[in-house]
Amino acid sequence: MKTPISTTSLMMPRRSFLMGSAAVAGTTLAAPSIGRAQTQELYINSWGGAWLEAATENLFDPFTKDTGIAIKTVSPVSFAKLAAQVRSGVYEFDVTTLGGGDIIRANQAGLLEDLAPTYEGGVYENGMGSHAFATVLAWRTDAYPDAGPQSWADFWDVERFPGNRSLQRYPARIIPLALLADGVAVEDLYPLDFERAFAKLDQIKDHITVWWTADAQSEQLLRDGEVDMIGIWHGSYFRAEDSGAPVAMTWNQAEIERSYWVVAKDTPNMEAAKLFVDFATSAAPLAGFVEQANYGALNPAATALVPDTAQSRMPTSTANYPLAFEQDMANWGADPEEVSMRFEEWLSY
Amino acid sequence: MSATPASIRDRQNLTPWLLLLPLAAYLLIFFFVPLAQVGIMSVTEPNPGLGNYEKLVTSPLYRKVFINTFMTALLVTVCCLLVGYPLAYLMAHTTKRRAMLILMLITMSFWTSFLVRTYSWMVLLGRNGPVSWLFLQMGWDEPPQMLFTRFASTLAMVHILAPYMIMNIYSVMQKIDPSLIRSAESMGARGPSLFRHVYLPLTAPGIANGSILVFVICLGFYVTPVLLGSPREQMAAGLIGRQIEEFLAFGPGSAMAIALLVFTLIILAIYHRRFGLDKLYG
Repeated sequence: MKTPISTTSLMMPRRSFLMGSAAVAGTTLAAPSIGRAQTQELYINSWGGAWLEAATENLFDPFTKDTGIAIKTVSPVSFAKLAAQVRSGVYEFDVTTLGGGDIIRANQAGLLEDLAPTYEGGVYENGMGSHAFATVLAWRTDAYPDAGPQSWADFWDVERFPGNRSLQRYPARIIPLALLADGVAVEDLYPLDFERAFAKLDQIKDHITVWWTADAQSEQLLRDGEVDMIGIWHGSYFRAEDSGAPVAMTWNQAEIERSYWVVAKDTPNMEAAKLFVDFATSAAPLAGFVEQANYGALNPAATALVPDTAQSRMPTSTANYPLAFEQDMANWGADPEEVSMRFEEWLSY
Repeated sequence: MSATPASIRDRQNLTPWLLLLPLAAYLLIFFFVPLAQVGIMSVTEPNPGLGNYEKLVTSPLYRKVFINTFMTALLVTVCCLLVGYPLAYLMAHTTKRRAMLILMLITMSFWTSFLVRTYSWMVLLGRNGPVSWLFLQMGWDEPPQMLFTRFASTLAMVHILAPYMIMNIYSVMQKIDPSLIRSAESMGARGPSLFRHVYLPLTAPGIANGSILVFVICLGFYVTPVLLGSPREQMAAGLIGRQIEEFLAFGPGSAMAIALLVFTLIILAIYHRRFGLDKLYG
């Protein structure tokens, strides 16, 4: 398993110290000027791995070339840190990405800067829509040589498909899947029926060998055959497939979520941060990024630039999107935090 | 004049404190201040009061995780003792050359990053790993699930902590005067009786020191149980991490951390009254 640690994260204490004094000095330091832009630095929270590769090549390097603003990355992605740094005024990163559930939470907590849309309809809860990713059902073809599981109901069917399973330790993603497995139609999913979902989860609990917590871990579990089937992010799945492992997946009932660029509230690097978010969601850079990392672009102008050959691996392609469904955090039906606590408690027995 | 000797004495008395100053300052800034912040957060986040501590007692999850933390630490300590005592005995009673060789092997493992050791267990105990292969060769249809179980996390923690136990017992065994054993034998003590009445009591300080070290370090284990165990055997440090990372629950997380610290201090205090903490460094 690869744990990406960038050099900048090792230097965090110094950075924190500097940013702390900058925060004390107030906004004068953040005031942009063309002359100073040459030496400016922007700190971005990085997912590491394939994400970082695609982002460096298509977003970070071209941005630095255009603006002269150097980009440093900080790992790992941490929602907690976003909250902590706004609270303390000590900034480790200026820009990060958030998923659909976290962004509502973050914006309600006042952690995000206001953004003006790069493209029409681009801003949601102060996040600039970047790309879509999906949690898909994948399996080992050596465990199920004939026909693998085709739906979450099959995932739950331990009679027809015996074997080790894995799901993410993240109830917000797992609960809709449990309801689909129980026969709820996609159009009736939201608001979610939590009692029914937990009852359904009870049935599968003993067959979940491991609840994964990091995407590199999920890839390794599938690639090494540690489990026979897994609910996995599609990008991680394709990395396992590309490594030559005997694996297959289905887009059927894939759970799509959107990822947004956000700027940390009151960061001293605000101008550069906003400039970057605009750049990262504009057509050409975003198109390159999603093509390399197999994401689905949320800016339609970017999608138009992605060649057809790259579309088959994207959750938002015309072939895949109708098979999938989108997570609807706005109509979720409960406080995600309370559900998380309940889920953790459920897990501990 | 009598003032000169007195001032010299004063200065001499002051010297050890001055030497301690850099360390004390370091601890104050990087340990006690953040610790105090954690303590403050535990009674102010999200609401002022003792609500977080109340939850520690009333919430079944917290209670279960705390009990599990202590039971796991106890289990690991007992396993380390069972593995470590015979090995220490072997080292103390074999040739110097062999003792050095064993010591080298133990320290080699000891100086390997515990992350590396944890991942090594993942490879060894994995479904397609060598241990599973051995089970298959021995005729098992389906090797037992070892990874992501209490077995795997306990095994790895014992592996990581056993050197503390071995070193402590070994250093005590080495100092045992052989004439004590000979005189016991001359009095007619044999085998089990000699061990129970003479050898074991003489090694008790080593057992106590090793056990307290293993137990207290194990209470705070984070990475190993998270990577090798299952959520059913979650330990306190793992839950504190999730509280902060996943739920941004700084208050409840801090309260758990303080509770864990207090329990650890209580255990050390009991040990201190019974054996004296200074023994740990002797």
